[in-house]
Amino acid sequence: MTTPVLSVENLSVDYEVGAGVFHAVSDISLVIPPGRVVGIVGETGCGKSTLAQAIPRLLPEPPARIRSGKVIFQGTDLVPVPKAKLPMVRGTGIGMIFQEPLNSLNPAFRIYDQIAEAVQMRHWREDGILPSFHPGPAPFDYSRRPITMPSTADVLSRPVMPGTAKDVMAARRVRTRTDLRDEVLDYLRLVRINDPETILSLYPHELSGGMRQRIMIAMALSAKPALLIADEPTSALDVTIQAQVLTLMKELIDEVSASILYISHDLGVVAETADDLGVMYAGRLVEFGPVAEIFQTPRHPYTKSLLRSIPTRYKSDWPMPTIPGSVPNLSQLPAGCRFHPRCSLARPVCTQEPPPALRVIETTVGATTSHHAACHYAEEVPGLP
Amino acid sequence: MGRNLEDLLIFIGKRFLQLLPVLFGIILLMFLVTHVFPLNPCPRWYPKASQQVLANCEAQFSQPVLTQFWTYFTKLLAGNWGASQFGQPVYPVITERFPATLELVLASMFLMIFIGIPLGVIGAQYAGRWADHLVRVLYLSGWSIPTYVGAIVAAVFLAPVVGLPAGHEYSTTSPPFAQVTHMSVVDAILAGNFPYTVDALEHLILPAGVLAFIEMGNATRMTRSAMLEVMPLEYVKSARMKGLSNFIVMYKHALRNALITATTVLGVTAGGLLAGTVVIEEVFSWPGIGAYAFAALGGGGEPNFDGAIAVVIVFALGVVIANLIADILYGVLDPRVDWR
Amino acid sequence: MLPTRSTNVASRVGRSFLAFFRIMRANPLTFAGFILVTIILVLAALVALVPSLIIPYGATQDTGAHEVAPTLFRWPPSLAHPFGTDQANIDLFSAVLRALPLDLAIGIGIAGIALVAGGILGLIAGFWDQPGTPGGAVSVVILRTTDVFLAFPSLVLALAIVASIGRGIWAAILAILITWWPYYVRLVRGETLAVKHLPYVTAARAAGVRETRILTRHILRNVLEPVIVYFTLDIGTVLVTFSTISFIGAGIPWPGPTPEWGSMMSFYQGNYPLEQFWWFITFPAIAIFVTALAFSLLGDGLRDVLDPRTRRALAESSSASTLPQEAPPTAATPTTPEQEEEAEEADES
Repeated sequence: MTTPVLSVENLSVDYEVGAGVFHAVSDISLVIPPGRVVGIVGETGCGKSTLAQAIPRLLPEPPARIRSGKVIFQGTDLVPVPKAKLPMVRGTGIGMIFQEPLNSLNPAFRIYDQIAEAVQMRHWREDGILPSFHPGPAPFDYSRRPITMPSTADVLSRPVMPGTAKDVMAARRVRTRTDLRDEVLDYLRLVRINDPETILSLYPHELSGGMRQRIMIAMALSAKPALLIADEPTSALDVTIQAQVLTLMKELIDEVSASILYISHDLGVVAETADDLGVMYAGRLVEFGPVAEIFQTPRHPYTKSLLRSIPTRYKSDWPMPTIPGSVPNLSQLPAGCRFHPRCSLARPVCTQEPPPALRVIETTVGATTSHHAACHYAEEVPGLP
Repeated sequence: MGRNLEDLLIFIGKRFLQLLPVLFGIILLMFLVTHVFPLNPCPRWYPKASQQVLANCEAQFSQPVLTQFWTYFTKLLAGNWGASQFGQPVYPVITERFPATLELVLASMFLMIFIGIPLGVIGAQYAGRWADHLVRVLYLSGWSIPTYVGAIVAAVFLAPVVGLPAGHEYSTTSPPFAQVTHMSVVDAILAGNFPYTVDALEHLILPAGVLAFIEMGNATRMTRSAMLEVMPLEYVKSARMKGLSNFIVMYKHALRNALITATTVLGVTAGGLLAGTVVIEEVFSWPGIGAYAFAALGGGGEPNFDGAIAVVIVFALGVVIANLIADILYGVLDPRVDWR
Repeated sequence: MLPTRSTNVASRVGRSFLAFFRIMRANPLTFAGFILVTIILVLAALVALVPSLIIPYGATQDTGAHEVAPTLFRWPPSLAHPFGTDQANIDLFSAVLRALPLDLAIGIGIAGIALVAGGILGLIAGFWDQPGTPGGAVSVVILRTTDVFLAFPSLVLALAIVASIGRGIWAAILAILITWWPYYVRLVRGETLAVKHLPYVTAARAAGVRETRILTRHILRNVLEPVIVYFTLDIGTVLVTFSTISFIGAGIPWPGPTPEWGSMMSFYQGNYPLEQFWWFITFPAIAIFVTALAFSLLGDGLRDVLDPRTRRALAESSSASTLPQEAPPTAATPTTPEQEEEAEEADES
């Protein structure tokens, strides 16, 4: 079995605010194998963005606090990493695409500067100028790696280039600068930008939302991350642009070797992109399994209601099925199963005992991921009509 | 979208033209204050002047108001800013003393930028925690200390403790080089005199430091609140995701945007600094126009009404220019501003 | 209709009470400022109403100290004279306390008058700002005038006015007043413009509510909050500015029947070596500092909560955008009264 790129084990994240403690993420476990796309769906406020930002430790701490659990990225638990050491993990290991293309690029800098900064950071880490994150099962090295400077002997033994030393230095500087520029252009082409040369010198406000999101994707990819977290990358865009960016994402998923955690509130989007799907409700992962299987045989009542409430052209049942009640307040969660006040199958045991976290329901022969659900009566959930 | 050099010049030119009404308003207001509001002011303004001066003054007030204004306006533009009651013209004194004040204000501004703004960043970074409280107490203390108290405490009680001189520009009254610019440090550097440069800097630290501390509040507060606005935005997070260190994220990505908002306090700050020089220069015997105004207002000298009004006009011009610079800075710092 | 209205009022009072406690809990400095301001106000009231209760000696009254040592004046601080005595054996503790109501009244009075005058002009300039109408013309004139006033550092302009119209306490007060109102014009106009285009105001206008009613019911109430906060912060600034004017020598003469902190310090600083008689200026200076700081702490803390910029940021950083709507932000929860207001408005029409 291959080592997963990321495995989240029993992660719980709270917000400690003046008004109380909000359990944004409770006891979530999840595994992302190399090269696989894992989708997470859930309503607004179910904690999926918190989960996304907790993995690279991007949450402001305080008020956020990782109460318990592990985030094992390439063999290293990120939870105990001190804040000062986090940049090396983020720089080379994990990339992230944000929801709001309006705000995700810095309005004060040109596009070139922003992407080149990311590429430059990667170069410096690759060259050992900056401390870098070691992939693999070896324990995470907190110490700063020594800067590898060429020895005098190395320098002297290099072939002498024509021209004076000053010319050589100048030539080298120009070369690295054009290299950097070429690399930035490569990434812009990667995200299907037609005229990357002109884009380079523009400011973010001069670009459309879809364009900005493409650049955001290019920027995230330019660090060559092993894990790419896409936090609702298409939600804030117009429908037509959404489709374009989604197509791009799908194409890139095939081209790029990174594992992807794809967060969305849109089941349709996730169905198109993800291999595995997790469903979140009130801070909990209530169901996890291969996408196709969950869509065919949802084993959690919430997933089932969610699927039923997707409007389709074919169904003509009116009024549109909705889930009664509303998402519980994360500071005053119901006892037992968090979904029980809205669940049509709820029985007395559901109001008292929390369901087992992700019970394995069945494993389709040949599938890499098994199907889990957090429900007392998972087997009894009726199939979709 | 125009943002080349030519557009910038047009942008600056436009801003400059917008100033003209304000400049006219300043002169008009000063005219009202000096010619229309006061009742029979001549003996009060020139208590020890000769009969000739008093008669001139009275004659001026007997003319119709519009004529008076025209005379006032043309005289101001021609550089005839009046004279002390003993006949010493004001304008040459102002031009000679102004550089010293400018030096003091710029030095305070420098300290404010390199101490006040980082303090604002720290306050935002640790919002609601003890570091933030400390920053707040610091700038509110500056806010609440009257300038003269701060100056006296620094000059009388602090100076001996830290071993810095409290008064004058140099240790000797006549430095051995030409006073080309009338700015102590610049003159010493121009003369290539290193010991005097150090000496001048030492003399500058305390007055500039006190002034900066007292007027820091606006800059720090504005930086803090602009940083708080910028920090939760996603581009700060995406900068973090590039693997940049916290320092770079804060001071390059966040502060760069926060500064756009923070430029708006430049005018107010410049006004506060200029007003502060009136007391600071008096206490520290700094040979600028602040001390001149203090003496002119009757603080320990003969009242010199024309001199005081001249300094007030210079200060207003200073604020107007600071506001112009702030506008231009805003346009340059924020790429979203179209210069056309 | 009536009972709902009264419960509305009750719940509104309860809510603002709650909001107040949240603000105080959120920032200990604001709370410290609130406590200090309360103490200062109570002290000032006591001094003004029942001076004999806390002031040991009348300010110009002989302290009796010379009976012990007839030649020795200028007593350093002791139990009998906590702030020491000056060259005329005036008890400085009494003098500093006696100056408190006057200085406080000057601070509150000037800031208050500036608030009312500037506030009205600001409302006019913000509300009737349509170009091409008489109101628009008036607002342009108001704004250009404030531009000119704001070009002067207020302390310096006040000094010029004092120099021009003559010295004395009334001249000093008038001078500060003339320079102080434009800040309120700017503030109130900005707030008015911001509120004027909010959806609920547009909705009220669409529902046919009269303009004057919109102004008094919707805009005034929203503008009031930031203005009062700024006013709190401003009291300290006025106090400091007035004392500086007195220090330069344009205030109330001292020694005299009416003590005032700035002129006291001006006199002692000019006539006595302060290294030796440090208590002469230390205690008036501390009095100004503490009073100004108290109002600044309170005002700055409140402003932090009400400033839309920091408010949003603070709320976001401490409750995170990912939380559901029910999650209340740290401190004050604004806007709800307006929504109620809307409902009332709709009922009435």
